[in-house]
Amino acid sequence: MARFPRFITFDRKSHLPMSNTLRIGPAVLWLIISLPLQAQVQTADKPLHLDPAWLTLIHYQPSRLGGGYTSQADDPAFFLSESGKTSPKAELEATLDAIQRPGNGNEHARCRFPARDAWLRERLDLPAKTADCPGYQEWTETLNTESVTLVFAASYLNSPSSMFGHTFLRLDPPQEDEQTNLLLANTISYAADAAAHDSELLFAYRGIFGGYPGITTVQPYYEKIRLYSDIEHRDLWEYTLNLDQQEVDFMLAHAWEIRDRNFDYYFFDENCAYRLLALIDIARPGTNLLDEVSTHAIPSDTVRWVIDKDLVSKVHYRPSAATSVAHNLSTLSSSHQTLAAAIANGYVKPDSDEVLALSPQERAHVLDATYDYVRYQSEADSWPREMAAPLSHNLLRERSKIDGVAPREEPPEPEVRDDQGHDTFRISLGAGQLAHREFTQLTFRPAYHDILDPPAGYRSGAQLQFLRVDARYYTDNDELQLEQLTGVEIRSLSPRNAFFSPLSWQVGFGGRRTDTGDKRVLAPYLEGGAGGSWSLGQQTQAFAIATADLEIDDDLRRGYDAAPGADIGLLHQNNRFSLTAGAKTKAWIVSSQHRQDQVYAKGNWHIGREFSLFAEFTREDHYDRYQSTWQAGLHAYF
Amino acid sequence: MKKLIAGAILLGASSMAFAQPGCGVGAMIWKGQSGVAPHVLAATTNGTFGNQTFGMTSGTLGCQTNESVQSMAMYMDSNIDKVARDMSRGNGENLETLAVLLGVEEADRGAFRDVLQDNFAAIFPSSETTSGEAVDAIVALLEKNESLSKYVAA
Repeated sequence: MARFPRFITFDRKSHLPMSNTLRIGPAVLWLIISLPLQAQVQTADKPLHLDPAWLTLIHYQPSRLGGGYTSQADDPAFFLSESGKTSPKAELEATLDAIQRPGNGNEHARCRFPARDAWLRERLDLPAKTADCPGYQEWTETLNTESVTLVFAASYLNSPSSMFGHTFLRLDPPQEDEQTNLLLANTISYAADAAAHDSELLFAYRGIFGGYPGITTVQPYYEKIRLYSDIEHRDLWEYTLNLDQQEVDFMLAHAWEIRDRNFDYYFFDENCAYRLLALIDIARPGTNLLDEVSTHAIPSDTVRWVIDKDLVSKVHYRPSAATSVAHNLSTLSSSHQTLAAAIANGYVKPDSDEVLALSPQERAHVLDATYDYVRYQSEADSWPREMAAPLSHNLLRERSKIDGVAPREEPPEPEVRDDQGHDTFRISLGAGQLAHREFTQLTFRPAYHDILDPPAGYRSGAQLQFLRVDARYYTDNDELQLEQLTGVEIRSLSPRNAFFSPLSWQVGFGGRRTDTGDKRVLAPYLEGGAGGSWSLGQQTQAFAIATADLEIDDDLRRGYDAAPGADIGLLHQNNRFSLTAGAKTKAWIVSSQHRQDQVYAKGNWHIGREFSLFAEFTREDHYDRYQSTWQAGLHAYF
Repeated sequence: MKKLIAGAILLGASSMAFAQPGCGVGAMIWKGQSGVAPHVLAATTNGTFGNQTFGMTSGTLGCQTNESVQSMAMYMDSNIDKVARDMSRGNGENLETLAVLLGVEEADRGAFRDVLQDNFAAIFPSSETTSGEAVDAIVALLEKNESLSKYVAA
């Protein structure tokens, strides 16, 4: 979806050239003095309350119905005017009045809204003596921020549902000071505040249709690392923004304004990433990142926008605990790998002769990798504490006896970052034959990635597709048909090895053409599967999945049908091409008892990350009939 | 500057119960974490479930008067596994963070790392060690060290 919206969004806010600021300032001041409050605070060409910077500061968006504006803030305490939610003008007047009242202290408007105060004073040339705001001052001193880093939590292995990623901001202290440390830096994030007892279904419903308050929280970075890197196994990408000190201060001033204020949370658009874009827009007026958002803001796409707007000065990769463990194990020799597995499983003690016979460096590396593996398994696989804790303690005690051996290097940064992978909106045009009937097929897929798309920047073997529409036009009888509507399709093929034994799984639902024996009808379906995958070299894996299918349609004898089945195949992914081939079998058991057997081969040839040529062939034995389908065409990624 | 950093730690941990009685308590090492399996929907949609804060227990605030040591205790409480790991290796960012929290100067960092690695078994005598006990042991060790005692003076 990354770039596509650009074609359809038009500029919702017209921009006032910055150079006007100085010229109109005195004029506006005169207006305020002469006509307090009732004044049409207006410049020669545009009223001040419609200034893009003001609209951004109060989070106004054009109302969906009719003209006017509505603020996305859902908290009366965020407004100084009672009609502030829908009236930029009333809010501006109320703010101007409030910040010019005498007095000081935390409850004064100047202290509650330092960003508005600063902007209005500069814009209108008001006396700029600083207000005495102990609470705000203590807050900014504690945060001690020199620069701001956008942190992106990538998707994790074996969890395609995390593919959208997550973003938050890290507030970095001045770097030249040896007494500072990024683990202790604070972070700002925005998330739905769901009640702990809510089920996932309720969570999904309220998340989509509203109902959860969104809250802005400040937490130390080490807490975020624990959550994302250690527990969820997500690599973190740190994009340091090139905001200067003044812009950083202004961002924090606004963060203070929205700190405890509720903005209702919506998964698809007004989500974690959206609020952060708003903060960046405020820090650097004219950035207009929010204009990129159309129907949804996928965090990984928002990272692309931030990079496209030249906001990033450097990027740093922080591998997750899982990435580090896998890397450290893979750098051991195979005999040391065997030894590490034996220690982890309790066959060999960490202080046994076999381990002590190794050189100090080898011993250190074996113990380090084994310890990290035991910790990983304890969390990911729930190894019991009675077994894992004493083993962990013995491993560290032995390790502490080895001086002067530095731990292994961290895993290398991937050559292609997540934000450099292919864009997620895909349109495909193809032509093919179904049992000798020729067709042209057009496919729209708003998000996100399938296993045959260019793999760079994505987890291998992971697939997540949303709201995909396949439409076919049959040339022989001029018929346009909906071939398939995919609601959601998730697939995760994660290879198993001596150390890790993840489950490969898949789930999907939607509507698809199904053969009832005499015609092809569009039937709602639900499918799922679980099994294993094994690595055959670097980029190739073999998988075997037990599957289950359910289809519902009037044309089926009992109105529905179900089929256990299997899918066995190979997958190869590299930056030039991706291939999968295999055999599927399904045994339909409810409405009509029969087998459906299939062999398939599909391949994509990647032309950069913008295009792929695709071809696929399926031969099927169904209702004692053999028929072939083939198709070839082009995928384009936007 | 030291004060600011200590403040940052306290700010971040503000959800903790501050006035827990007793010394030497805190998170037990390798106690394991609940809620390991991420919710599929929460992961997709980046919501947060209320139970996503992990077993933060009380620190040793009742006992330690030195503000730096209090900050270290806070940090140890939520990162005890990783601190123990880095300590056994005499190297790592969590060990650096302890040094920063205690205000250990660059010149003393090498000695700091060595003391903690060499005395790992004293700091973590068993797999039941709590963060509070580890903090007390670290303070006792540093107090005995000529060049490092100044960082834990009450």
